[in-house]
Amino acid sequence: MITYLKQTIAKTPVFALFTLVFWCMCGCTSTLTSTQPATQAANSLYDEIGGSKTLNTVFGVAINRIYNDPIIGHYFNGVPKSHLRKQLVSQTCELIGGPCVYEGKAMLDTHKDLNIKEREFYILVEYVQGAMRDVGLTYQQENQILQKLAPIKSETIYL
Amino acid sequence: MFRTQIIAASLCLVSFFSLANSGSRLTATGGITGFEGAAGGGITPWAFISGYGSKEEINGTANVQYLHLNDYTLTTFGASLGIYDRIELSAQRQTLDISSGITSSVFSLLTEGAINTAKSTRIDMDIVTAKVKVLGDGVFDQHSWVPQVAVGAQYKKHRDFDTTLLLPDGTGPLPNQGVARILGAKDDSGTDFFVSATKLYLGHINGFNLLTNLTARYTKANTFGLLGFGSASDDSYKLEWEGTLALLTSPSTVIGVEFRTQTNRLGGLAEEDTVTDAFIAYFPNKSFSLTAAYVDLGNLPMQPSSTGFYLTATANF
Repeated sequence: MITYLKQTIAKTPVFALFTLVFWCMCGCTSTLTSTQPATQAANSLYDEIGGSKTLNTVFGVAINRIYNDPIIGHYFNGVPKSHLRKQLVSQTCELIGGPCVYEGKAMLDTHKDLNIKEREFYILVEYVQGAMRDVGLTYQQENQILQKLAPIKSETIYL
Repeated sequence: MFRTQIIAASLCLVSFFSLANSGSRLTATGGITGFEGAAGGGITPWAFISGYGSKEEINGTANVQYLHLNDYTLTTFGASLGIYDRIELSAQRQTLDISSGITSSVFSLLTEGAINTAKSTRIDMDIVTAKVKVLGDGVFDQHSWVPQVAVGAQYKKHRDFDTTLLLPDGTGPLPNQGVARILGAKDDSGTDFFVSATKLYLGHINGFNLLTNLTARYTKANTFGLLGFGSASDDSYKLEWEGTLALLTSPSTVIGVEFRTQTNRLGGLAEEDTVTDAFIAYFPNKSFSLTAAYVDLGNLPMQPSSTGFYLTATANF
């Protein structure tokens, strides 16, 4: 069955086109890496985006919008912006290979009994995505950071 | 004429729904509307529920689609409801226009040249699909290999199984036999059952998001049911495979390829091949999406190489 599939698919021009696209994508990666100096190649995503300075700006922008949101803003009543910002920066820094250790409370504990809805979580994600774009991170960097932050969903909603 | 009306109606829909709240899930995670009405790619459903509704929201979609394959043209439209990011219900109407060139050739073949001209014809079919997400979160479960999985049932019913094909003088030498029946189809309706597994890998290929989908379909359909269901010699269900690989190349652009296997029940003129397509979808915002694809269906009756363009517009509200 699988062999039949492979043969059928491999024959089509569409598949050829697709293979080409992927090769191109992979090719771009290796070209990029190989042309960079050795010190740069070993850099983490954290270094690539400009470290804690960039994360600080990103979360500064996002938090301002989050605190002003009519639907999710109220969850942060009594939480100083600077505190949340510090926590988010150190947590993200650690997740994307930076020299930080998140020392805040566990996500499960801080979100317990808040009964945060999935809709509210998505609103927050869009603010963070939007802030990354506005601060000037590339779409690829945004995706890679989101990939690290995504599992937080299960530690925050409906607890 | 009919087509123009649909396109006009769709443009109205798009502008109307741009003003409405279309749900809070992330852009593009509702997929597009497939030609059978289920959310996913163009030729296969995904495990993602239609629209952008979260667990707390109910959202709808409406779509209009056009597939041109030389002497065959498929126009289709429909709507779906995504309920609490759990259940998807959709209804779709397909209209397949078959040129007089094709019907003439079929008659010519059947009568050994005695009749060699016939009128064009059309096949209308209604499709109702129910899909239920059973496990996983294909977007946010990034630390686990488990995909999002949905199961579905798709009921299809012909409206032209018994529509007599007419000759230019208005007579019908094969009364009450539509195209599907002439080609040997047994039934005018059938139900497909499918399981879809879908996963989005964030930042996966050079930082781009990669979407993978595999669907297994249990079906009796001949050419998606447009040529009926089952045949005199083979009336059993068969397992078919469908898949999508797509890259999100920007926050609003998805490019990808798909395939879909078919069983060759009718044989002869109606021999079926594996369908493939390459598509580009544009999601400017959560209100609507536009998709263009190049589709290769392989053989259709009297048209051994059927390739052409496919356009879809989906509006979310």
